[in-house]
Amino acid sequence: MISDSITNASATAAPSARDFGKKKRTNRTAKLKQSKLGLRREQWLSQVAMVNKGGKEEMDANRKPGSEKSDQRDRPVVNLDGHQRGEEDDNNSGANRHESFMESLSNSPNSILSGMNSIPNFSSSSSSGSGGSCSGNITEEEDADDDGCLDDWEAIADALAADDEKHEKENPPEFSEEHEHENIQQSACESDVAVSRKQKSNQAWRPDDELRPQGLPNLGKQRSSPVMNFHYSSVAVPSSCPICYEDLDLTDSNFLPCPCGFRLCLFCHKTICDGDGRCPGCRKPYERNTVKVETSVQGGGLTIRLARSSSMFCRS
Amino acid sequence: MIDFSRVQKELQDCDKDKDASGIRVCPKSDSLTRLTGTIPGPIGTPYEGGTFQIDITIPDGYPFEPPKMQFSTKVWHPNISSQSGAICLDVLKDQWSPALTLKTALVSIQALLSAPEPKDPQDAVVAEQYMKNYQVFVSTARYWTETFAKNSSLDEKVKRLVEMGFGDAQVRTALESSGGDENVALEKLCSG
Repeated sequence: MISDSITNASATAAPSARDFGKKKRTNRTAKLKQSKLGLRREQWLSQVAMVNKGGKEEMDANRKPGSEKSDQRDRPVVNLDGHQRGEEDDNNSGANRHESFMESLSNSPNSILSGMNSIPNFSSSSSSGSGGSCSGNITEEEDADDDGCLDDWEAIADALAADDEKHEKENPPEFSEEHEHENIQQSACESDVAVSRKQKSNQAWRPDDELRPQGLPNLGKQRSSPVMNFHYSSVAVPSSCPICYEDLDLTDSNFLPCPCGFRLCLFCHKTICDGDGRCPGCRKPYERNTVKVETSVQGGGLTIRLARSSSMFCRS
Repeated sequence: MIDFSRVQKELQDCDKDKDASGIRVCPKSDSLTRLTGTIPGPIGTPYEGGTFQIDITIPDGYPFEPPKMQFSTKVWHPNISSQSGAICLDVLKDQWSPALTLKTALVSIQALLSAPEPKDPQDAVVAEQYMKNYQVFVSTARYWTETFAKNSSLDEKVKRLVEMGFGDAQVRTALESSGGDENVALEKLCSG
């Protein structure tokens, strides 16, 4: 059952990872930057812990695994686009591909196993930070130009081609269907033993470690990754009316009187309509005829649509 | 009816980052209808180093009507009356939006100080000087900043007036009766 869920997930996403490699590359630089910010913080935290243990040798020794971990972190971000497209492909003509990947997976049970091992490792990326093991690699990347950074990444990717194969299979589940998340969590629990062994060898934080910094992400935080937060913020509803500073109730927060997206409470909206009737956000006049329709029908419709789009985003 | 709770919250918000922005808003009385805003002169302009006070009156319709603002500190600027301190700024008139606040309005005024609009002047004399003789404008504006927008201590004022040849006690009396205004005191000293 566990391996099933993983094969499904990887089969849907793996073609996209290849077909859209070029597109990914162009997006990658920008998205790398975003994820690097988060990474840098984690590294700093774990580096401190590392220094305390005086594990400089380990830093060098672990550099390689560390660098592949950084790939792991970046990849889900990159896969966002690719995966959505990949789903479309599956709908159209992906059946053959699907099968071929099922085959390839079933032919190589090892890859599934290793994938299972590293999923939990990825989910608690505190451990993947693994005590500054990747710090050297990442800071180099940061210092380099964007192009250099890209080259570095590709060089690593080539050098670890075999590992990459596995990662491509293990990463997509992070952004796949909701029930697959659950499956993965299950598998995470079941392969806990393997994880803890791995973490010990990397000097990483265990999820239940007392000394584990609270700022380090866990699976729950991972799912609301920075990229997602960024997208949510664009449709976020303010908690209070920006005009009267009173809290918005449920009706108010479903009320979207202007296409510019500026929200306000119904009282303030009425006061404005009694006056010059211009939206405070964009200064364009409210469309008086449609406003009433919007409050009753369109307002609700819009909310539903927003909710739908956000849930789609979770899946993709 | 004025929305005092909003004004109150605006004052609190403004107070929170007054050190970062340099912008302050303080009530003149308990009523919260009359306030005093303070903005630092923008760096790199003739107003640099000065601290400018702005009289704020909250109208009944606030925040749906713009707050009334005018400089109480004398400023040499094409869009600010050198006589009355009236400000010609669109966001204080037809471009006001209830989403703006006292602080954002003051920030806009600060931006106006760094970017004059001589083609839409409030003070025609200043605007003409700005267009035709920019260097003179800059030095005049700087002089006005030095003279009116910098708080020098009473002793410095006394010292300057004494250097002009007036007696120390006489100068202090004149300054006291003029409310600390050096120029008014000087006029008094000259006339009396």
